[in-house]
Amino acid sequence: VTYKWLSYTLGVHVNQAKQMLYDYVERKRKENSGAQLHVTYLVAGNLLQDGYVCHKVAVVREDKLEAMKSKLSPITSVHVYSIQKALLKDSSPLYNTDYDIVKSNLQHCSKFSAIHCAAAVLRTPPDAPRAPAQSAPSHRDPSAAGVVNGHGPPAARPPPQQQRGIMGMFAAKAAAKPQDTPKETKAEAKEAPGVSATSSKPPIKNNIMNNFFGKAAMNKLKANSVPEQPKEEKEVVKPSVAVAEPESSPSSVAEKPGKKTESARIQQKDKRSKMKRTGGSDDEEERDPESVKKKRKRIKQLQSDSSDEEDVPPSPTAEEERAPSPPPVPALKTELEPASTEGSAGGRKRKRKRVLKSKMFIDEEEGCMGKTG
Amino acid sequence: MFSEQAAPAAQGLLAPPSAESPTFPRVPVSGYSDCSQPFQLGERSFSRQYAHIYAVRLAGMRPGLERCARSQWGNDIALRKLSELKAGEKCCVVGTLFKAMQLQPSILQEISEEHNLVPQPPLPKYIQPSDELILEDELQRIKLEGAIDVQRLVTGTILAVYGSEQDDGRFLVEDHCFTDLPPSLPWNGPSSDRFVLLASGLGLGSVSGETLLSTQLLVDVVTGQLGAEGEQSCAAHITRVILAGNLLSQNTQSRDTINKAKYLTKKTQAASVEAVKMLDEILLQLCTSVPVDVMPGEFDPTNYTLPQQPLHRCMLPLASAYTTLHLVTNPYQANLDGVRFLGTSGQNITDIFKYSSMDNYLEILEWTLLAGHISPTAPDTLGCYPFYKSDPFILTECPHVYFCGNAPHFQSKLLQGKEGQRVLLVTVPDFNATQTACLINLRDLTCQPITFSGFGADNED
Repeated sequence: VTYKWLSYTLGVHVNQAKQMLYDYVERKRKENSGAQLHVTYLVAGNLLQDGYVCHKVAVVREDKLEAMKSKLSPITSVHVYSIQKALLKDSSPLYNTDYDIVKSNLQHCSKFSAIHCAAAVLRTPPDAPRAPAQSAPSHRDPSAAGVVNGHGPPAARPPPQQQRGIMGMFAAKAAAKPQDTPKETKAEAKEAPGVSATSSKPPIKNNIMNNFFGKAAMNKLKANSVPEQPKEEKEVVKPSVAVAEPESSPSSVAEKPGKKTESARIQQKDKRSKMKRTGGSDDEEERDPESVKKKRKRIKQLQSDSSDEEDVPPSPTAEEERAPSPPPVPALKTELEPASTEGSAGGRKRKRKRVLKSKMFIDEEEGCMGKTG
Repeated sequence: MFSEQAAPAAQGLLAPPSAESPTFPRVPVSGYSDCSQPFQLGERSFSRQYAHIYAVRLAGMRPGLERCARSQWGNDIALRKLSELKAGEKCCVVGTLFKAMQLQPSILQEISEEHNLVPQPPLPKYIQPSDELILEDELQRIKLEGAIDVQRLVTGTILAVYGSEQDDGRFLVEDHCFTDLPPSLPWNGPSSDRFVLLASGLGLGSVSGETLLSTQLLVDVVTGQLGAEGEQSCAAHITRVILAGNLLSQNTQSRDTINKAKYLTKKTQAASVEAVKMLDEILLQLCTSVPVDVMPGEFDPTNYTLPQQPLHRCMLPLASAYTTLHLVTNPYQANLDGVRFLGTSGQNITDIFKYSSMDNYLEILEWTLLAGHISPTAPDTLGCYPFYKSDPFILTECPHVYFCGNAPHFQSKLLQGKEGQRVLLVTVPDFNATQTACLINLRDLTCQPITFSGFGADNED
């Protein structure tokens, strides 16, 4: 039991924890209960070493305490570091205890410390597309001054941070990529809000995975994989973003939904997995009925809407107009329709290739992303 | 300094729990500005030759040297270029030194492995009595002999020599001089005690785990969890922590995986991945409490050539969520509370150590300051980016604190310059080996080492 462990477990200030330990030791010793307690102390003070007055901080066993105290000339602090039943051979159990408890409380590790730093605030997310999706965390930052945040925002912080870091790397690549598929990016940008709005940990994890192979499969990926995810709520927000030209941030956001859709597909495939690669066709078949059905519906709707017939770039704008319109789901499907028709024109073959390839990526991803995920 | 204020309340915590425990607010950050823009490389192009660096260095340091030469040897001495030398005439020449060393590892010798010649093993020092000094300027070179310490000087130094050319084509040196300390910056130091903690060589990821407790103790002292109340209130005066390089240990390099067969190394992770995760956790603990500047070092995952670029933020996801984490370049220059800090992670000093007879890291540090250049051996034996417009390693202003990381021992000295400059020279010891860090008091430019220790099975003190 170290003072830090006690402090975290009981939720008290570290100084109080140290005093509690001391109190306990004193009482037990007075009672003389027979249970041998071994105490380690922390001693700090000045010591002359190598010609320099060196400030030494040491953890010592009780029997060495007096010896250490005599060596230090002004002693700056002495307090109980830990109590244990058995005699410690070395200090590694102390370290391990502290390490474990700190690891489980990483987000507010300074809560019980004696020093409060007003400057330690969380970084506000810089990019605009993130702001609407994560407006909840961002407004917590102003209120974070002086107090380390509780569980919520820090918990949400690392995954988006990871995302952003990785996204940052790919944003550059995305910007460099020829934007000759603006329809894809726009269509996917529309997807971005829908998918990111409901982001929780598992999708984020998949998203990170997808970041890696998403860019490779990006060229082959057509937005027809998107229809699997009928999430439409944030469309209204995102059209404004989608209208903004595919610069680095929108394009990165655009990549994200592309990958999210991949993730959706992969998720489905994972669920049905344990199949051989050649069983990919089964995947296709199972998936196809629904998508075919949707496509059928969409085709009909498409034919009914003449505005969607021609080239796709105007289509996002047309979709945006339709976005506020009552049936968001069919609107989504129609918007994806132009892209998907072209995609499906390529036929199953392309999809199958894509499926296989992404599966391969997943295996590799699991191999090397398993730990960081 | 750090300790005197803490002493009175030393035994306070050996008591029953008190009603409430004070928390001390950290001394607020005031006046921090990062001045290491010259060391940050934007677009990098390696298509240029390194000769430009020397040309720029010479051109940049020539005026200062000429001024020093005149002040030292009189206003009326003749300043000549090598091409204008006349035999027997006493004059002063400014140029770049080149030291021809027999033992210097050369790429040509490595290639000679193909001829089954034994490659040269790495030595601690490469100096030999037969080394020669050659002075080069823009057009010519000439051998130097005379009152000049061949063993002590290294390649790449710009200096002025005073002497005359002999008949056999060598230059007999009577005296030489360096640029001496650059002009000092105005002093705006704080009026109350402010401390900066300098540590380097944390060496995470090493095989032995003894230093982990010491590292944890260091973090605890800085974040205020350790120590009695007096000590904690003193720790609240620590305004900044600078980690000067080698955060990962040499064991994480795992260079031999290149030689192993692919099937053996396929599913293994680089050792640095675990180490970086550990580093992230430690940095998170520090960042919640104090601003931290992290400089990369020799074994850290960043580029090898100087100036090393900052570690990337995505490697430290937990810690980089806080604004108190600053990832900075190596060398690093910044203004903290009106005090100018300049320092490196030690690669430059170690390199000079290898090629010079100077043994004391503090001496080498002082010498680089007097020579006016952070790393004279830079393109020659130490990797460097091929600068061509300007050499950012030239010291144009005198810092108030000049440090180098990963030294074998802690040493510090307050240097007084001729024009009233005051520089605190600090060699920050390798924490992994010595469990020592440095506390610098900004008010009066003093430095105190701080050591941490646990107890081991063979504890004898």
